[in-house]
Amino acid sequence: MISVLRRALSDYVRHRLLHGACVFTIALAVFIVCAFTLFFINAGDLMEQWQRGVRITAYMEDGAGRGTAADARKAMEKYEGVGSVSYVPGDEGLAWLKEEIGPDSSLLSDLEENPLPDALEISPARDTEGIEGIEKLAQKIKEIPGVADVEYARKWLDQFYGIYSLFRITAFVMAALVFIAIMFIVANTMRLILYSRREEIEITSIIGADEAFIKYPLYLESALLGLCGGLAGLGLVYLAYRGVMPGISTEGLMPFFRIRFIPPELTAVIIIASMFVGWLGCFFTIRRFLRV
Amino acid sequence: MQDKNELQNQIIRFCGVTKRFGEVYALRDVNFGIRKNDFAFITGPSGAGKSTLIKLLYMGERMSDGYAIVDGINLARIPRKQIPELRRRIGVIFQDFKLIETLTVFQNVALVMEAAGFRSRSFIRQRVEDLLELVGLAHHSDAYPPTLSGGEKQRAAVARAMVGKPKIILADEPTASLDPAASERVLQLLRAAHARGATVVITTHDRELLSMFDARVIYLDQGRRVDSRGGPEETESCEAEPPAEESS
Repeated sequence: MISVLRRALSDYVRHRLLHGACVFTIALAVFIVCAFTLFFINAGDLMEQWQRGVRITAYMEDGAGRGTAADARKAMEKYEGVGSVSYVPGDEGLAWLKEEIGPDSSLLSDLEENPLPDALEISPARDTEGIEGIEKLAQKIKEIPGVADVEYARKWLDQFYGIYSLFRITAFVMAALVFIAIMFIVANTMRLILYSRREEIEITSIIGADEAFIKYPLYLESALLGLCGGLAGLGLVYLAYRGVMPGISTEGLMPFFRIRFIPPELTAVIIIASMFVGWLGCFFTIRRFLRV
Repeated sequence: MQDKNELQNQIIRFCGVTKRFGEVYALRDVNFGIRKNDFAFITGPSGAGKSTLIKLLYMGERMSDGYAIVDGINLARIPRKQIPELRRRIGVIFQDFKLIETLTVFQNVALVMEAAGFRSRSFIRQRVEDLLELVGLAHHSDAYPPTLSGGEKQRAAVARAMVGKPKIILADEPTASLDPAASERVLQLLRAAHARGATVVITTHDRELLSMFDARVIYLDQGRRVDSRGGPEETESCEAEPPAEESS
């Protein structure tokens, strides 16, 4: 193992120009993958933030009282798919409405009694996905004793989930296409490297080296190239992220949204994938050279 | 029928060997035998099949038909995994040297021993230094092949071929691209290898070179053996194909 590592490292240094070009190509490929990943992660986060803004309002029956509302709340909290429930008394609802209407709120001051019933406002759990999930939850809530009616922005939700699923499909297809393209680029770069060293490999074979003696240092070298390319690509993306971040403000649009870098576990996956693809390119090329 | 001793004395035996590249025949039904510690030439005009024959001997190519026994191994049936073992018994010298340009002369020669599984650095160093001394390249030990002359490169290639103490040395037109003085030096080294017990097989189209040696000669033309001198009766040494490893 030590001799394999020693040979791989000395080969790595000996072919530094060739390897430098290879690392640069892999770094560019990884940079593109990471840039896509960064975009899709943050766009996904943004979508999730919007999804979290979805509310279901359950209006209580007239004269249901706080006790009934408290029982209904307990019942709701037990349901799968319910994130949190808050009680909004009719008076509070009216006050909020007046505030929302603003200068025209005098229209409401002529009312003899508050027309708004007490309500429970339900935030679906994070894992409640799709319009179907929200619909099912609303249906169940409607069946709770004391609940007169349930309301949620069905039309808006329809549109939102349409965009959300289109985004997810696009992200998935793009990720798959970019990954395949990158695999080809990296594997072909490795092939070119090995083709340029074809004579060296053939000579080593002619002088009596077995396949393991030839293959293992090359496997290690190609994984090392993948590693260096992966790290360089990620480094470039990080520098670009740090450079661009101060100029982006989400304060106005989404006050609670922060653009984040690729999470560590995904970073590890990208680096391991770079090493794997480097090795894969070597694996398929070397087999051809060693065939008699 | 030749006696068993004669067969066992042959380190190389070709029996009905044919090599085709698509529709083109490079070698056709070639028979010959070379005895242990022979100094042999394979000669013929360009395109006669000399280099192909050398390639078949070190398994750079597989034969299309017939069989060949090299140091007891049947090349027609040799499993892929056994090829490195065969190659360690053979040292090969090429017209274009085939040195690895990114390795020093020392590293080129030492690579043979590393590939053969020798681990002791001091043992490898000693053996390589001895060989470089023998071929007169001790002072070029750390030089890279592109900085050497043709004669020096070929001597480095001879050192590489000899370092593993092979039973057979194959030299494919070793002097073709060298001046007379450098050629003479290389031939001296091949004689030295022969004197140490190796069987030496040289391909050449140089008739002058042949006249300098009283050696076994096999003449090829258009892929066929057309004549030979100083060796066993070829056609009689072939019989039914033996198994992968012939007992010797």
